[in-house]
Amino acid sequence: MAQSLTHGETVLPADWRDLFALTKPRVMSLVVFTALCGLLAAPGEVHPVLAFSSILAIALGAGASGALNQWYEAGIDAKMKRTAGRPLPAGRLDPQTALQFGVGLAAFSLFLMLFASNWQATLLLLVSILFYVFVYTMWLKPRTPQNIVIGGAAGAFPPLIGWVAATGSVAPLPVLLFLLIFLWTPPHFWALALFVRSDYAAAGIPMMPVVAGEKSTRRQILFYAIIMAIGAIAPWPLGYTGALYGWTAVILSAIFVLLSIQVGTRTTGEGDRMQPEKRLFAYSIAYLFILFGAVVADHWWPL
Amino acid sequence: MTDENPQETSGQEPFDEAEYRRRQRSRANLMAWMLGALAILFFFITIAKMQIFA
Repeated sequence: MAQSLTHGETVLPADWRDLFALTKPRVMSLVVFTALCGLLAAPGEVHPVLAFSSILAIALGAGASGALNQWYEAGIDAKMKRTAGRPLPAGRLDPQTALQFGVGLAAFSLFLMLFASNWQATLLLLVSILFYVFVYTMWLKPRTPQNIVIGGAAGAFPPLIGWVAATGSVAPLPVLLFLLIFLWTPPHFWALALFVRSDYAAAGIPMMPVVAGEKSTRRQILFYAIIMAIGAIAPWPLGYTGALYGWTAVILSAIFVLLSIQVGTRTTGEGDRMQPEKRLFAYSIAYLFILFGAVVADHWWPL
Repeated sequence: MTDENPQETSGQEPFDEAEYRRRQRSRANLMAWMLGALAILFFFITIAKMQIFA
């Protein structure tokens, strides 16, 4: 492995904790959970060892994407309070180590997926890594306020990959789950962007609140929350899930829309603590966890 | 003559050999555990596939 952190002319090996932090473990937890739900909601049975290996491959692929994202964005991260403490901008890791780690981890995740599962899931994993790194990180994020909208697709892949790893084919339910995360991403990230707006502005990232202003962002949060709610409930009337998922989706989505109305209809002054925005951001994470849990519960214990 | 450390006079941090060894050891240990875990995982994947395709 490459070296990092110079001390005079001698270099110190990278600390493993910094390499771990490079994989964005918190993001990875949501990726692993949604992938696991996709796999568990699929018809048929998967050997537990192969299921575990497939989920591990997805987690490593997500970690590789995170590492490559941090490698590319080290300069931007250094300008934002929220990310300045990451291993690269803080100078605890050198860029070459991060790049080698990211590429190596990506290659290994694909190999593991191919070995444990099937080529269809491996192909989807490859597409999701490439999409996140090249389309989202390198192309969209520095260029357009729609970065989160289109880039959301990268984060929406895990349940689809989990399902395909189990079955070898795509079906309507995992596509709807893909759509759900895709539509969930804008209100989730824009709620965050509203209360760290100055950070994004300082880094020159064209996030929606920086480019279009707060009022427009709030309106769009509400707009996407309503479409997302429809997308979340859709699997029930379409017959792909039962009442357990259906009612969970109805109740949780109604709360999501109510919180979005609070965010979407308010105006803020100087020194506002942005409590409704922080509440919506925190709720949006719980929302996705519970909803995906409901997909699995509905599959195994239908009402 | 002076007994000053040349690295310190040139404005560079002194080399901490203990830290270097600690990191090297912790990375080597971690790598050993991970390789062991992967060997076991690959063994069980092979067994699982043999069961499925038997």
